[in-house]
Amino acid sequence: MNLRRLYMVLAVLLVVWVLLPIFLIATLAFSDRPSVFAWPKGLLPQQFSLETISFFFGVEGVWRAIRNSLAVAAMTLVFSVLLGAPAGYALARYRFAGADAYRLLILMTRAFPLAILAIPLAVRFIQLGIYDTLLGVALVHTALALPFAVLVTSSLFLSIPKELEEAAWTLGCNRLQAFLRVVLPLALPGLAATAIFAFVISWNEVFAATLLTLRERTLPAFLLTSLNDSPLPFRFAGGFFLIVPALVFIFVIRRYLFTLWGIASR
Amino acid sequence: MASIRVENVEKTFGRFKALNGVSLEVRDQEFVVLLGPSGCGKTTLLRIIAGLEQADKGRVWIGDRDVTLLPPRARRIAMVFQNYAVFPHLTVYENIAFGLRMQKVSPEKLKANVERAAALMHIENLLGRYPAQLSGGQRQRVAVARALAVEPEVLLMDEPLSNLDALLRLEMRAELKRLLAESRTTTLYVTHDQVEAMSLADRIAVMNAGAIVQYDTPMRVYQEPASVFVGGFIGSPPMNFLRLRVEGQRVRLGSLDLEPPAEVGAEVLLGVRPEDLEVYPAEQPQSFAAQVLVVEPLGPHLLLTLNFAGQAFKATVPPDFPAAAGQTLWLRPQPSRLRWLEPGSGRAFATG
Ligand SMILES: Nc1ncnc2c1ncn2[C@@H]1O[C@H](COP(=O)(O)OP(=O)(O)OP(=O)(O)O)[C@@H](O)[C@H]1O
Ligand SMILES: [Mg+2]
Repeated sequence: MNLRRLYMVLAVLLVVWVLLPIFLIATLAFSDRPSVFAWPKGLLPQQFSLETISFFFGVEGVWRAIRNSLAVAAMTLVFSVLLGAPAGYALARYRFAGADAYRLLILMTRAFPLAILAIPLAVRFIQLGIYDTLLGVALVHTALALPFAVLVTSSLFLSIPKELEEAAWTLGCNRLQAFLRVVLPLALPGLAATAIFAFVISWNEVFAATLLTLRERTLPAFLLTSLNDSPLPFRFAGGFFLIVPALVFIFVIRRYLFTLWGIASR
Repeated sequence: MASIRVENVEKTFGRFKALNGVSLEVRDQEFVVLLGPSGCGKTTLLRIIAGLEQADKGRVWIGDRDVTLLPPRARRIAMVFQNYAVFPHLTVYENIAFGLRMQKVSPEKLKANVERAAALMHIENLLGRYPAQLSGGQRQRVAVARALAVEPEVLLMDEPLSNLDALLRLEMRAELKRLLAESRTTTLYVTHDQVEAMSLADRIAVMNAGAIVQYDTPMRVYQEPASVFVGGFIGSPPMNFLRLRVEGQRVRLGSLDLEPPAEVGAEVLLGVRPEDLEVYPAEQPQSFAAQVLVVEPLGPHLLLTLNFAGQAFKATVPPDFPAAAGQTLWLRPQPSRLRWLEPGSGRAFATG
């Protein structure tokens, strides 16, 4: 009984730890100027106003950064699905030598710190002429999103029985037709989730985007570099705008993330 | 022309030999049943014929084409999978129409074929449903209808009626047999159910441990099993085997004096079906005595378990036969129904 209570207290603490900053950012992004600067800040939203948000969008470069972010995230999404889904399919359907090692290797790429890679990457990008381009950032983001795309899609394809494909073959389909007519329709929701996840990873990524761009800033990179010399309302509004899409998307695809992490989905 | 010819097919999974040099010939328009215990390789053989599995060795012919290296779609077969494999994202109608759509048949023919196959499997009223809204038996019937609708030259069915209740199964199997005879489809049919096998098959191929141990008409498989395994696997209750001594080329069984085949050794197995034993309450010439151990009333007859010289065996008698445990009865096997087998290998001696 006591253990259970302790468990509850810890859970509540954890939830507050995560939600409180989000809550504060959200309320202050929709407050007027005085309450943003006020101290101590009230817990409940003070005067509701769009003043802070509209100030944010008025700042020079914000719109451009948002456009860049959208473009980079869209490219990341496309690359991740186009590269990740075939790899996931191969992992799910074929027994090949080193399949398990390959699976592990995919995960290990995520353990490799980007910070170590950053300088060589920037040098190489300059040589290739894709430094400070949206494509360059998208490529790095794809590398970051790909491990998830491969693993999620592989468990997705594993959950579609092989016999369904085989039945399609005996009924006159070649491999591609069987995939398009049977596997793809069944995999579509999961593929959409994979795509959204890749989008979110790119949307929130700040380190590579900051290092690899000068003028073509994405939103996080733009906010980070202009944080020190910008007023408080700008920071709150920017933070809010970074958090919200991620939260919404993650909420939409949570079922797939749970299955990826081995938690029973409900 | 769509005969099936399987030549010396071997298949190994890891270190496990699932098929051990299987050869099988199914004639054009023939209905052959593959019968065998679980795990003996029936599904594996079917999958190799369908092209879903590649044999390590051996060849497969359909009609006069060597299809060993052809993909499933080029083999002109249809298959009913053991676990149904109906497409969950398509309605029953679209499931059945799937193969026809791939063949690009005319809309009229498509509709006609789908409705005919559905009517045959009694699922006309389910055409608009999705598989998730069906019971296991209904799904199984969709799978059969889907295979029938494409009117294949060769139909491979892996336990297609296993999930139906006894009554429906009886009806379906009669209709299936009629339809396939009418459409002249060459059929290879896997089942566990020996009654189903006996009733459907032109010929039965009995499999055990990755090999075909006997391939013959149902009556011959039943009456002249090639081995102890076949005699024991087919028939309920199974065939009796009595181990007897051979003395001077004769075998004595009570007052019975039998002549075994010439090539017997010191001992021989005598195989006889329970229903081929005539049972008498009093001593008879040309019979042997045995004690009743158990009497089981089964409806159409009584099943007796008897003891002869320490060996238990079974016999069936009419339901009004006066039998009680402990009693001594006299039995006389029908001479034409005796089967002599070699005790070591379990193989039957050639009847001459
Ligand atoms: N993909 C596979 N990998 C490893 N072993 C396999 C594979 N497929 C089948 N086997 C093995 O081969 C043997 C034959 O399998 P198969 O499915 O052909 O049996 P079956 O006769 O159809 O049995 P059942 O009547 O239970 O369906 C079994 O022992 C099985 O474990
Ligand atoms: Mg099987």
